[in-house]
Amino acid sequence: MPKPAKTDRALLPQAGARPSHDVVRVWDRIVRGFHWALVLSFAVAWITSEGAEDIHHWAGYAAASLVALRLVWGVVGTRYARFSQFVRNPATVLRYLAAIIKGSEARYIGHNPAGGAMVVALMVMMACVALTGWMMTTDAYFGVSWVEDAHSLAAHGLLVLVFLHIGGVALASLRHRENLVRAMITGRKRKAASADIA
Amino acid sequence: MYRTLVLAALAGLIAGPALAAGTCSTAAKSKFQPKTTLEAQLKGEGLTVRQIKTEKGCYEVYAVDKDGKKVNAAYNAETLEKLDNAEAGEN
Repeated sequence: MPKPAKTDRALLPQAGARPSHDVVRVWDRIVRGFHWALVLSFAVAWITSEGAEDIHHWAGYAAASLVALRLVWGVVGTRYARFSQFVRNPATVLRYLAAIIKGSEARYIGHNPAGGAMVVALMVMMACVALTGWMMTTDAYFGVSWVEDAHSLAAHGLLVLVFLHIGGVALASLRHRENLVRAMITGRKRKAASADIA
Repeated sequence: MYRTLVLAALAGLIAGPALAAGTCSTAAKSKFQPKTTLEAQLKGEGLTVRQIKTEKGCYEVYAVDKDGKKVNAAYNAETLEKLDNAEAGEN
């Protein structure tokens, strides 16, 4: 079947397919690439934690590099990639969580305050996992049990955060009727309505 | 030249596993030597033991040598014979 020409679409008033001007580009390639590469690193590291030491180490180095890159990009990156755009003070985060419970939370084009806090928590926890994991390979901390315990605790903590993150994404997707997983793949989201926060 | 390299590589493949000495113990845990015995033995070799883990029939040792360099090795838990593969107990 031939694709309808763009002009045809524009002529259809609000019929079915959403015209492309209702969509905004939010997540740039580095943000999306970082996100999915970090998912892959953590998954590989988790699977190889009981063996395949070389792969486990490389997954850890990859994760640490990704977090370092993201820290830089959070300062110099595009609008919605910047920490200044989405990292809010704890009071704002708590107010937003309270609004979620009441079912009155606003839709954000970038990360909402709770999502922004989760980004920070995930990155800090990943950094802790990578740091303690690397320490285990050094002469100074090799075989030191508190380092091993800290590594395990941080890795399990990160897994818990990942589940909370997925839950938050699912909840926000349902509440605001948008597929946020797809948004992290395509980078695009529905344009802000008047009640939304761009 | 290439033939020599290929032959050497093949020989290594065949001889490698055969040379890897020792296996973990298959005996009951009650037959294992106490960890303190192994620790004393390692101390005598000039190692500072940080941790000894029991992995199936092996003890995996985490230690540092006199120069502070890490040493990782596995020992048969029954005979305290040193194995070539430090991860022997995990496989």
